[in-house]
Amino acid sequence: MREISPRSPVAIVLIIVVVAYAGLLFIAPLVAILQGAFADGLEPVLAVFTDPRVQHAFQVTLILSLIATAINAVFGLIAAWVLVRGKFRGKKLFDALVDIPFVFSPVIAGYALIVLFGRDGWLAPPIFSIVFALPGILLAKVFVSVPFVIREVQPVLDALTPEQEEAAYTIGATRFTTFRRVILPEIWTALLYGIVLTFARAIGEFGAVSVVSGNIEGYTETATSFVFRALNDRNDVGGYSVSVVLCLISLVILVLMSFLRGRIVRRGN
Amino acid sequence: MSIKLEQLHKSYGSDPIVRNVSLEVNTGELFVLLGASGSGKSTLLRLIAGLITPDSGRVFLNDRDVTYLPTQKRGTGFVFQNYSLFRHMTVGENIGFGLSIRRVGQSERTDRVNELLQLIGLAGYGDRFPAQLSGGQQQRVALARALAYQPNVLLLDEPFGALDVKIRAQLRQSLRDIQQKLGVTAILVTHDQEEAFDIADRIGVIERGELLEVGTPSDLYQRPQNLFTATFLGTANLLTGRRNGSTVYVGDARLPAPPHTDHLRGQPVQLVCRPEELTLFTSRENAEGEVIGGGVVDSISFAGHLIRVNVLLQGQGDSPRILQALLTPSDARDLALHDGQQVWVSVRDYHLLPQTEIPSGAVSS
Amino acid sequence: MTGLPLSYDVGSVKRTQSPTYGVWGLRFVALSYLVLFIVVPLVVIQVQGVRYGLDVFWQSVVRPEALSAITLSVYTSAIMAVINTVAGTLTAYVLVRYKFPGKRLFNTLIDLPFAIPTLVIGVMLVVLYGPQTAIGKFFTSELNFRILFATPGIVMALLFVGYPFVIRTVQPVLLQMDASQSEAAQTIGAGAWTTFRRIIFPAIRPAIVTGALLSFARSLGEFGSVIVVAGNIPMRSQTATVYIYTQVEAGNMQAASSVSMVLLLIAFSITVGVDLLQWRRHA
Repeated sequence: MREISPRSPVAIVLIIVVVAYAGLLFIAPLVAILQGAFADGLEPVLAVFTDPRVQHAFQVTLILSLIATAINAVFGLIAAWVLVRGKFRGKKLFDALVDIPFVFSPVIAGYALIVLFGRDGWLAPPIFSIVFALPGILLAKVFVSVPFVIREVQPVLDALTPEQEEAAYTIGATRFTTFRRVILPEIWTALLYGIVLTFARAIGEFGAVSVVSGNIEGYTETATSFVFRALNDRNDVGGYSVSVVLCLISLVILVLMSFLRGRIVRRGN
Repeated sequence: MSIKLEQLHKSYGSDPIVRNVSLEVNTGELFVLLGASGSGKSTLLRLIAGLITPDSGRVFLNDRDVTYLPTQKRGTGFVFQNYSLFRHMTVGENIGFGLSIRRVGQSERTDRVNELLQLIGLAGYGDRFPAQLSGGQQQRVALARALAYQPNVLLLDEPFGALDVKIRAQLRQSLRDIQQKLGVTAILVTHDQEEAFDIADRIGVIERGELLEVGTPSDLYQRPQNLFTATFLGTANLLTGRRNGSTVYVGDARLPAPPHTDHLRGQPVQLVCRPEELTLFTSRENAEGEVIGGGVVDSISFAGHLIRVNVLLQGQGDSPRILQALLTPSDARDLALHDGQQVWVSVRDYHLLPQTEIPSGAVSS
Repeated sequence: MTGLPLSYDVGSVKRTQSPTYGVWGLRFVALSYLVLFIVVPLVVIQVQGVRYGLDVFWQSVVRPEALSAITLSVYTSAIMAVINTVAGTLTAYVLVRYKFPGKRLFNTLIDLPFAIPTLVIGVMLVVLYGPQTAIGKFFTSELNFRILFATPGIVMALLFVGYPFVIRTVQPVLLQMDASQSEAAQTIGAGAWTTFRRIIFPAIRPAIVTGALLSFARSLGEFGSVIVVAGNIPMRSQTATVYIYTQVEAGNMQAASSVSMVLLLIAFSITVGVDLLQWRRHA
């Protein structure tokens, strides 16, 4: 469809309605939380971030999210490859499975982890505990963000004709070299976009984490569970401040996403 | 580097695509595999390159059995129909890719790339991206890329198919020149008969997975051993007849049997003659050469530098046949040709094939 | 031709292109990964749900608190899906069709719900509409309409979370649409609304349905924002996910499993249905 300048009153009304709806939904709450965080001034906010518990919570969140993202980036790429290029029975079923984490309630995921690895769990490991400890959180973060890399890379891989690869083979490149120098450059934008989405989801994960981690303060508390506890403890400033930081991280992620999406669209043309 | 194929066979499911093809290509030869779409020619080429493995049979490159050798180790250069240049690399990087894989040093690589750019007539284009080039230019880069590491054999899969007619003609001559200059053995696959005639040392006609005939362009055109070959390479006029003694009886006409047809003695035959070998006359008395018979002009059409005349030949026994003749405009004018005119047809050069069930007349693919 | 060596050999290519081992290795890795992180949790929940017998399962599902929670989840998600379908379709249309100032920024912000932690979404809504704020007080006292800690609050949270889905499924279709179709309609005499209704809408209908279903399925499982915003009072404002959470915390595993299974079944059938619609997949 071609883009035009709005001329009719209907068009203008439509635009206003649409923007107002979004504004009401997003902008107002964003503004409100900024206000709420700084309601008592700058100092209490700064005090929140010097609190070692808060710092630890952020550390846990960021490090575990990075690890989860790395796992999903590598394995997601492999999975996307296999799902696009492979021919085997049941492939379509596996492909449909990839959408499950999108709609799998995180609480249920956390619960599944408890069933598996909890004290009386099916696979309770003797040496180190998984639930109520960091490994459980990591698993939860990995689970909820599995589909992003796969779903972003798949269509791009699919669009690549095999001839560029065949050309590389005839020239003498091994499969790995071909992947590195011919295929990867074509898909890296989509891959990066998937990685950014994965990271955002991993950071924001709360449901599974709250079930699985026990929210042990200073040990397994993540940034999001800190906010939850802070609100319950009526520590509004604490809760709001950390929320604001999480918002800021999200906004940065958003800008990255937008930039990458622009590149994906442009390359597609 | 000579190429030898022994009974190569490949099926997809229950469909045989390549049927027991055996072939030998000589070193330094430009061999053209000519066939229609779906004839299996591209599959055959890919079997030679190693992109596909055969069900049975063997591939030899310079007497070395490479049948199960992976593509990367065969040392072939492959040019695809849609160029398949690496889009995110510059022209120079594309061409130098094969060298960089072989760990050729930077400066040597640059020299070689420039050399090749010169060879293909695109000097100075090294920093451009494929998207910035025209189709013909991209194809030249694809060729350079395939030649950069001095492959033993060059394989081209309908390389000019996606290009305009004029560019096609230019490029195939360049290809021929380069190939001769480098002395590299090449197999080119195409459905374009004109292209085959233009540059091939020898042509192999392939149809439905079978290699029907191999020969030089003129041999295949003038003395085809196979009906398909006769009708695929240009238009063929076919007439049924019988060869007895040293004569061919076609309808009421008696023509001397052409050489090399003794094996057909006493058998029903198809007489094959090309439209340009027919001459038309306005009266029986004027008719010179071997006269086939008389007929009526059915249609006249303009074919650029020649006039195409269809003649409804009479006296053929069961049913009249239409023959196609090609005349120069001046000849056509001399005869004052018009529809319905009574003419006599004689033929200069012709060939015989064993008779098959194909209806005769003018046949072309 | 020049003084360069006569042939460039690939040399020692250590890795042979053996199509069997490498391919199966990759396949094994990929499928194990998928099985481990997707199939295992699925199986665990299903097994756990029916572990103690089907009637026990059934009983825990039809308990009034459980039923009410499930109903609330389905009801609020459905309302959200309807609203966001309309809003999303309009938004997608406006984004593709019209030029207006700030459009690029707006297009970027649409992805906000994908980027913000759901818990923070809930917090933002509380800050804005909570009973202690001006807006909250206004609604409660004047209109006797509690936003937060009641169904409307839940719907609002779900609206935020599900906002981008329909937009992002419809947008690409609209972008790809051939202008000539609408132009042809215009020359025939169709007005803008007719053109939309009879030419554009049928083309985007599958995308709309897909987006709606996805947003619905996503909302069913929403937890982070809901737990902050809803009153979490059983039988009144407790959604299925919050119900599961409280049951797990209380150690009532059977109850948690059963409702989990029901939610999963609904979500699973939706995703499978969407995949069958074959819209999103590489054609």
